[in-house]
Amino acid sequence: MLAFASCTDLTENAYDQMLTDDFYNNRNEVLSAVLRPYTHANAWVTPSGQDGWWRPAELSGDQLAWPTKGRHGEDGGKWKRLHYHTWTVDEGGLNNAWRLMYWGMGLCNDPIENLEARESADMGISDEEKAAFIAELKLLRAFHYLKLMDLFGNIPIVTQVGIPAQPETRPRAEVFNFIESEILENVNQAPVLSRGMMGRMSQAGAYAMLVELYLNAEVWTGTPRWDDCIAAANKLINSEAGGQNGTMELDPNIIDQFKNTNDLSKEVIMSIAYDYTTANFQPSWPGEFFHFKQREIYGGARNGNNGIVLIPGVYTTYSDQDLRKSEWLLEGTQYNFATGAVVTGSEEYNERPLVFVDNIRRNSVNETSSTMSDGEENSGVRFNKYKLGNQLVGHDGTPIDLNYNNNDWNIYRLTWIYFAKAEAIIRQNGGTANQEAVDLINTCRKRAFAEADWAANAYTPATLTLDELLAERGREFIFEGFRRNDLIRFGKFTSESWWDHQASQATRSLFPIPQQQIDMNPNLQQNPGYN
Amino acid sequence: MDNYQLKKLTTALIGFKRGLIMLFSLIILSGNLSAQDIKVSGVVRDVQTKELLPGVTVTVKGGGQTVRTDGNGRYEINASAQATLVFSSIGYVGQELAVNGRSSINVSLDSDIQSLETVVVQVGYGNLKQKEVTSAVAHVDTSQFRQSGSRNALDLIQGKVPGLQVTRTSGSNPNSSPSVQLRGVVTVTGSASPLYVIDGIPGGNMDLLQQDDILSIDVLKDGSGAAIYGSSANAGVILVTTKKGKPGAASFDYNNYVRKEYVQRKPNVLTAQEFRDKIASGELSSSRADRGYSTDFYDMMINHDNLSHNHNFAMSGGTNNTNYRASVNYRNLEGIGLENGRQEFGARLNMNQRGFNDRLNVQLNLVNNFNNANLLGGGAWESELFKNPTFSNFNDDGSYYFDLQSTNEYARLMQETSFRKQQTTSADFKADLDIIAGLKGTVFGSYQRNSWNDSQYAPQDSETSIENTDYPGGAWAAKSDFLSQAYAFEPTLQYDRLFAEKHNFTVIGGYSYRYYKEEGMSASNRGFINDLFHEDNLGQGTALIDGRAGMGSFKNDNKLIAFFGRVNYAFNGKYMLQAVIRREGSSRFGTNNKWGNFPAVSAGWNVSEEEFMQNVNFVNYLKLRVGYGETGNSGFSNNASRVTLGGGGRYLYPDEAYRETYGPNRNPNPNLRWESKREYNLGLDFTLFDQKLNGNLDVFQRKTVDLLDTYTTPQPPFIQSNIYTNVGTISSKGIELGLSYKAIDKKDFSWSVDLVGSTTKNTLDSYSNDIYTLDYKEFGSIGGAGALGNAIVTYEGERVGEFWGKRFAGFTEDGKWLFYNRNGEAVRNDQINNSRNRELTDLAPIGNAVPKYLLSINNSFTYKRFDFRVFMRGKFDYDILNTMALSYGNKVWQGNLLQDAFTKYAEIDDTYMYSDYYIESGSHWKIDEVTIGYTFKLPATYFRNLRVYFTGQNLATITGYSGNDPDFIQDTGLGPGIDSRGAYPSTRSFLIGVNFGF
Repeated sequence: MLAFASCTDLTENAYDQMLTDDFYNNRNEVLSAVLRPYTHANAWVTPSGQDGWWRPAELSGDQLAWPTKGRHGEDGGKWKRLHYHTWTVDEGGLNNAWRLMYWGMGLCNDPIENLEARESADMGISDEEKAAFIAELKLLRAFHYLKLMDLFGNIPIVTQVGIPAQPETRPRAEVFNFIESEILENVNQAPVLSRGMMGRMSQAGAYAMLVELYLNAEVWTGTPRWDDCIAAANKLINSEAGGQNGTMELDPNIIDQFKNTNDLSKEVIMSIAYDYTTANFQPSWPGEFFHFKQREIYGGARNGNNGIVLIPGVYTTYSDQDLRKSEWLLEGTQYNFATGAVVTGSEEYNERPLVFVDNIRRNSVNETSSTMSDGEENSGVRFNKYKLGNQLVGHDGTPIDLNYNNNDWNIYRLTWIYFAKAEAIIRQNGGTANQEAVDLINTCRKRAFAEADWAANAYTPATLTLDELLAERGREFIFEGFRRNDLIRFGKFTSESWWDHQASQATRSLFPIPQQQIDMNPNLQQNPGYN
Repeated sequence: MDNYQLKKLTTALIGFKRGLIMLFSLIILSGNLSAQDIKVSGVVRDVQTKELLPGVTVTVKGGGQTVRTDGNGRYEINASAQATLVFSSIGYVGQELAVNGRSSINVSLDSDIQSLETVVVQVGYGNLKQKEVTSAVAHVDTSQFRQSGSRNALDLIQGKVPGLQVTRTSGSNPNSSPSVQLRGVVTVTGSASPLYVIDGIPGGNMDLLQQDDILSIDVLKDGSGAAIYGSSANAGVILVTTKKGKPGAASFDYNNYVRKEYVQRKPNVLTAQEFRDKIASGELSSSRADRGYSTDFYDMMINHDNLSHNHNFAMSGGTNNTNYRASVNYRNLEGIGLENGRQEFGARLNMNQRGFNDRLNVQLNLVNNFNNANLLGGGAWESELFKNPTFSNFNDDGSYYFDLQSTNEYARLMQETSFRKQQTTSADFKADLDIIAGLKGTVFGSYQRNSWNDSQYAPQDSETSIENTDYPGGAWAAKSDFLSQAYAFEPTLQYDRLFAEKHNFTVIGGYSYRYYKEEGMSASNRGFINDLFHEDNLGQGTALIDGRAGMGSFKNDNKLIAFFGRVNYAFNGKYMLQAVIRREGSSRFGTNNKWGNFPAVSAGWNVSEEEFMQNVNFVNYLKLRVGYGETGNSGFSNNASRVTLGGGGRYLYPDEAYRETYGPNRNPNPNLRWESKREYNLGLDFTLFDQKLNGNLDVFQRKTVDLLDTYTTPQPPFIQSNIYTNVGTISSKGIELGLSYKAIDKKDFSWSVDLVGSTTKNTLDSYSNDIYTLDYKEFGSIGGAGALGNAIVTYEGERVGEFWGKRFAGFTEDGKWLFYNRNGEAVRNDQINNSRNRELTDLAPIGNAVPKYLLSINNSFTYKRFDFRVFMRGKFDYDILNTMALSYGNKVWQGNLLQDAFTKYAEIDDTYMYSDYYIESGSHWKIDEVTIGYTFKLPATYFRNLRVYFTGQNLATITGYSGNDPDFIQDTGLGPGIDSRGAYPSTRSFLIGVNFGF
């Protein structure tokens, strides 16, 4: 019988492949599975060059756009549809965002199931570590749902791989409750933020999610949760959830959070970590922001697709005394980092100086029309918030930067928590700022001004109106992925017009459930206004 | 096979051995002589040559002793005085003679290889006389093989089997294999290769076959025959039988050929002078540089001194009980390209030993082939054809000219090296035991091993080294290894019995275990500081120290296990019935579908045996066959059904080191299974007009369901966005005809004509099911500049190979393209709707790339001792996209151009466009081979035969097609009919060969 059984044994071998059953036998294997969703999140939560969460969250707002620039950037009209709020139900980019985010969610479900199915000892970790890993993954899964809910509102909730086969759409309020309960149930089992938890979901990240959840609760559920928002914010402001470099506190300036050694920042709550020097893992956002010849400007190796620029007029919302204007944005004539010579263009400004201008029109042919179709290679003020550093010696003697290309991308930072708490206080106060709220904002804002300029630029309860708060949020969090969310909360996303954008319909504050997904899963329901 | 599996196999073998021992005891007890028997002896001769025939089987009809003639054609047998003796031998018409009390009986056998009565056809795990066959099997033997020197055994039967396409897309490149397709496309993503069975070795390696060692090739074309090979048989089964040892006087055979090739049909491009003149006249814009040289880059890549030769020496002999055949082969094949060759040494040994009262017959085959191939050359034809001819491969100081825009291919061939050292081996063992009368047990086991070692080197002064940005001027070296091992163990039990002199049963049952494993590794390094090591000391390159060297390894295996059975029943030699079942499992199948059943049934009716046919004089033989069979395709990737973990890039671990992360990179599909083909076949075998015309006609209809492909999955709940699953259906139907006509058959002069023809219609019926949908699939990448996408779109329900593109409507006055939109209006390209939605698109079906008719005709003449053969092949009623004209018949290209750019295509002043403008008929008729041979009359009795022959190959092609040789353009698969911009040169070759036997 034994011989007979082996004669029909069709067991499949893996050899150079790894199977889940052969995995989770030691701590590094467990870590490699727990960390997998983070490298994936690079694709959707950062401006990675893929259609993830970031693009629709920013390019549908009033600060950033990807206008057609000469022969480049038309891209089938996808950028225009985001800007005009005329996306279609089968918009490829939105389907891709859905796919990437649910894929990442699945990359959380899979290790949760596998960890739960195994004894700690078999995996070479302690019971506490196992519980902490599971809590971290459940929180990270909640983060995926939070960002999915942000874009699509009513979405299916799936907590097991492959089950059910055709999950049903859940209303946004139910999704909200699921996320909240997942965070509350797991926050205490998760590790506090520490240097060892850098680039990962921790208790700090969990409280930041709660702040975001409660700040938007009125929009997302109809019920405001200002007290809860303030309470969650206080956990972080009081450094009760750890910090990536000791006590969590605001960085003293507007540079430390974004520079290529921002792993040393004290205010970063959660980030996607990159290290080019030792790990060959580099930020992927230059493709979105950089000009075709940006490497000459920065003395680096990276160019881009000359894509996303500031919408005309955004640049001038910063006062000239605002250090964020000069530090975070790139405008004017550009110079070669290594030689000091003027950088020339490669398209309309071929052989002529490349000057980034605060307008989008075909200046080279003296056209004055300014729409999404009228860009040329130098149109618009550029991103300069995160600086990669330089690989070359500068013409002014700047030495090579050994941390070139190592910047982490922030998902939550303490400044954002300060702003959220201030907003909760103001809204709780009927829309009027009190001194506590003003102090929170001023503490952050003060860093962007020279000592001598500060007095003239400080807010008072009278000047910090809700509109001013929105404007200040725009200035502080530009490029960070929150603009659409802010505009919705302030009631301006679909009702206002800006530059080439006309007011759209209220239903456009949610994106459509991708038709491609509905075609495969009849239990998905389209959002209102898209049928 | 690892130790564990070896142990399991051993256990199985021990079990089998015990059974055998019991059976042996039975036989010994039963093997007694009957008392009334007399001793009969005599000799057996060939009717024509009067040669004594060794190895003829002599049996007492109805059970009793079986003997074979010895080396002198002599036999001795015990039989009753009333018995009937049956004399049979492969290649001869059998005879039955009554003993009638005689003690000496001499017999002459008539050799007739072509006769349906005697041709033995391999049908898998056994053979049948052609007359008994009920499925569609094509049999090709040595005398019909092509004679122009084969690289691969399949070259020998190109155009010889109706319905079998053998296409050489790389022409005569010695380091290439032909693509083979039987009865249309049966798969989209699975294995499209037929199963090759060499002397019973399933999945046999064709590299082990030298043309002079092959006896015959049989092709199981339909499902009713192929089902015995189950899940490997969808693309057909090709059974190769090699020459075996025969008892008798020692015989020696020496065969050779020497071949020389010449380029023909070279694309017609401008010479340097013409190029210059056209710049001067303004026909070519002055943006083109004139460097002042005159270079024929293409010609510099040609190996004008090519000479290939092949030598095979075989010997055989032995006794009734012990005989052998051994051969050694040497060949040196030189391609038409420089540094493009293959040198092989091989040996093949066949040993046969009889024992146990002639009840046990053991056969052993050992085969080895060593190949030293030069893989450096044979490519880059496009770049060399269309480079600016006023450039040079050399600088004025004689050094090689390099620039960043192009590769100096000539320098590459002269400076770099790329060699493969390959060893291919097979060993198989087969023991037949006659257990009791009619019952035979067989144990078959085989092992095949294929391994190679590749080495490549680019010295410091080579272009790739000089232009490398990381290590400029540092040499590059690489090595890689590959090893595959294939095991098969297939015991069978066969029972033959004739009941009541009318009911003939042959029943065979067996078990099959096939295991395949492959592994390999590769490493490369750069930045060597001198050229001393080549690839012999890989670790010395600088890139390794910098972490930029390359290294990789892989290993995978798979297993196929099956139980199978076949019953053949014949009633009175008139009615035949065959039923086959194979139950097979593969390690690749998903856990829910590990085993599949592949049944088949077929029937034959020898109509000419019927009473009512006895007066129909023009019919000598007529058989009707009908069959149905199911087969499968298990040829897809390992681990395709299971979730494997994939690297997701390195991330920050708690100790601040970055390490790899892993997550599932595939959706599971526990239902994953074989593609399944169901096929009906109706056939007719006939011999008419006084044995002058014989032939066969087959009509088939096949449908492959559960086609495998990658489909988009909903997320959630799936993690990944696609799944490999069984969804679509592809079908084909067709008619195949093989005819053989002996026009003249006189003593000094004969003429016979063989015709092979077929037509097939292949349709992608569906590509969707309830869960997964796709309206169409795209195939046939157009390639070249201009990102033109795919030329072929196959919509559900439509024919395979349909070109979908724009319809040319003329040019504007300034040479811009105009195309018809769906309303029939001529519009500019930017107004054309390129949608794949057939309700909206301006694109239209503009041709079909699958040849509708395949035809070949062979004329054989003999005059006294001369033989003369003309073999012609053709493909008809299909289209080819002339990509060479598309890209290089357009003055947009800055390098060299086709002459046609200034004549046929002179009007164009616009960019590259894909439309019916470049679709041309590919129909052609080729004089493929002409052979003239002379067989010498040899004085000494020691010499058996001596024939010298001369063959010209690829002598003429009649076609309207203006691109490359249409014979070499892909016509198999789902993306056929796209011409190459840099086809391997079509060659005309001449060959002289000798066949010498002594």
